[in-house]
Amino acid sequence: MEQQEIFEKLSMAIIEGDENKAKAFAHEVLRSKIDPLEAVEQGLSKGMIVLGDRFEKGEIFLPDLLIAGDAFNSAIDVLKPAMEALKKNIAKVGTVLIGTVNGDVHGIGKNIVGIVLEANGFEVVDIGVDKPSLKFVEEAEKVKADVIGLSSLMTTTMTAQKEVIDILKEMNLRKKYWVVIGGGPVTQEWADQIGADGYAGSAFQAVHLIKRLLGQKKIGA
Amino acid sequence: MLSFLDVYERAIKGPIMSEKDFDMKVFIPRLRNVVNAYGIQYNRETPVPSDDRAADHLYKAAVDFLSQVGIYCQNTNRIIQFTQEEILEAVRKASGKCFAGEGKEAGIFGMRKPDEQKAPWFHVGSGIVTTSEEMATNKIEGYASIAEVNSISIPALDSIRGIPVLAGSPAELYAAIRGIKIGREALRRAGRPGLPIMNLISTAAAAVTTIAASAPQFGLRITDGWLCGAISEMKIDFGTMNKVAYLLNWGANIGAETSPILGGYCGGPAGTAVVSTAYILMGLLVQKGNYQLHFPIHFKYGCCTTRDILWTVSVSCQAASRNIPMPVIWLGYTAAGPNTKMYFYEAAAYLLCAVASGAPSVQTPHPAKAVKMDGFTPMECKFGVETAKAATQASRQQANEKVIRLLEKYESQIEAPPSGSRYQDCYDVVSGKPGEAYVRLYDEVKEELARMGIPFSSKG
Ligand code: B12
Repeated sequence: MEQQEIFEKLSMAIIEGDENKAKAFAHEVLRSKIDPLEAVEQGLSKGMIVLGDRFEKGEIFLPDLLIAGDAFNSAIDVLKPAMEALKKNIAKVGTVLIGTVNGDVHGIGKNIVGIVLEANGFEVVDIGVDKPSLKFVEEAEKVKADVIGLSSLMTTTMTAQKEVIDILKEMNLRKKYWVVIGGGPVTQEWADQIGADGYAGSAFQAVHLIKRLLGQKKIGA
Repeated sequence: MLSFLDVYERAIKGPIMSEKDFDMKVFIPRLRNVVNAYGIQYNRETPVPSDDRAADHLYKAAVDFLSQVGIYCQNTNRIIQFTQEEILEAVRKASGKCFAGEGKEAGIFGMRKPDEQKAPWFHVGSGIVTTSEEMATNKIEGYASIAEVNSISIPALDSIRGIPVLAGSPAELYAAIRGIKIGREALRRAGRPGLPIMNLISTAAAAVTTIAASAPQFGLRITDGWLCGAISEMKIDFGTMNKVAYLLNWGANIGAETSPILGGYCGGPAGTAVVSTAYILMGLLVQKGNYQLHFPIHFKYGCCTTRDILWTVSVSCQAASRNIPMPVIWLGYTAAGPNTKMYFYEAAAYLLCAVASGAPSVQTPHPAKAVKMDGFTPMECKFGVETAKAATQASRQQANEKVIRLLEKYESQIEAPPSGSRYQDCYDVVSGKPGEAYVRLYDEVKEELARMGIPFSSKG
């Protein structure tokens, strides 16, 4: 098979969410001695981009993304040893620690943001719902996150977004992280007021926002 | 019949598994299998289908699905499982009646069937956050002034004596108690002290707040109604289970609160329809609900008025109304805010869809996805009651035609809807009366809808 054809097949396998095909063509990459990293970028990732686009348009739904994500990961597992041998790593876009703030059990929006970020190449650490403010900071330190994402769906828990930012300031860690916020009642004004680095109203906007932030240099970091 | 302690025992003895595995290895694949095995299919041309057999088939799929998946308990990481026989027994034994209200306002909230002309139970109001006690009082008086109203939802307060309410904090408990007092006082002032409040406790996010503020000395009665929420999808926690335990011991009305999310783990409309129906079974079996508050919503737009959600609401409402004796309040969220034409179009579409599909009750559709502070007025309540009444005259087929025409008016604006006004922008805060411009808009839209063939009664 031609290199280009293999890339297309890999991409299709992801789009179809077909784990077996994804693995099979990943083996084909190894057999044909194609650069595994290029196979990821030109094949697997392209498939994810197509799906992300369809998801944004409402043509497919969360389970389709999750299944494609599984296919993606199993193809990566096949390619990983070869990449490691070549000392090549998939460029990590960044690590995002995400969770729903103290007192709030609304988790679906946060889950969707996490899954869409993952589909866009981010490493996502989801700490769950109803998490104390300090926990966000501790976990961010532990996993060496670049970004902290705070979800809040209620006016009575939005203040916890501010609390996390205040704790970061108190611990002299504010400059180490980008802090982004979201959830039903949250607005850009609220983000400005509490000193968050950004607000996003949907999972797709969250991807654009975080990509934009990571493209900037953190002052004093 | 399984008692609540039996349910609890399953929560501590059922199969153990991580939450992620439950989502990925149980919920998603088994839902897919059920959707395929039963051939459930979404048809975008018919948002309100008229097919009894399809409705009963969806009900069977939901029973099968619930027996295959169960309910995940987040505190114990175990699955509460039910056999098909247990589910069917709960359905057989269900009364389909909820006794609510006191004195002159005492009523029986019962079932309706698709195409049935009987009036639904009119539930009005919302738990949307209100930033002053004065506005909260005015709103509740406004709801109670609508003669047909059977029960109400009271607003949530965002502060107490200027101190912001933090979820689960002492301020939340003060505000929850204050909210109840305001509710009772406003109902008394409207001359309807017996009206049941059925969204308890709107100000309380924490179970401990709910239970504490429910002590009878603060004014609540067993004939009011408490919301005990399932966590989407198909999960529950000890907070909700503690509320259920408390209310069962007291003999108070339990409202199972459930919200399947289209586009989330449920996937598209077909999967969401199965889950939506299964949630009504869950309300009977797990929360032991006397009634249910149910609102399937769209993952992207946060509302219930897109074409795919309307279909999901219609088919699951038909399946449940025909087969599961559980008085369900069907609640819609609109994309547009109050005091906009789009709000009324969306609300009318939702109400026609639900009422014709056999909804035992419909609540006032919530403007602006219910997230705009002070974004709710009694005017939407009036419209909700008048439109729901008119909708009882429409068959499913007639409702379908009208819903399609309404969709044509607003579908393209769902992505960027007008956010509308706040209460204080379109109402006189002191007198509690709507401003002239809003009244004019209201009359205009109603006329337009009447021309479309929505049969408002002449008394208005
Ligand atoms: C579904 C729902 C529930 C479900 C939650 C299920 C679950 N597992 O999540 C249940 C039934 C359990 C529930 C319970 C309650 N709820 Co509720 N619920 C909702 C509802 C209808 C939808 C939320 C939702 O899932 N939307 C769909 C998702 C996909 O959208 P989203 O969360 O906004 O997320 C998107 C964006 O905001 C953004 N985003 C989200 N998070 C983040 C994070 C970052 C970092 C970024 C960048 C972006 C981002 O991207 C997401 C994807 O596009 C909202 C109303 C609404 N329209 O928001 C009320 C609402 C949030 N609930 C409300 C209330 C009051 C409650 C209860 C207190 C009710 C009660 N008395 O029992 C309890 C709360 C318990 C608690 N301690 O938290 C109120 C809050 C009012 C307030 N004070 O502000 C609302 C606004 C409804 C209302 N007005 O009455 N609820």
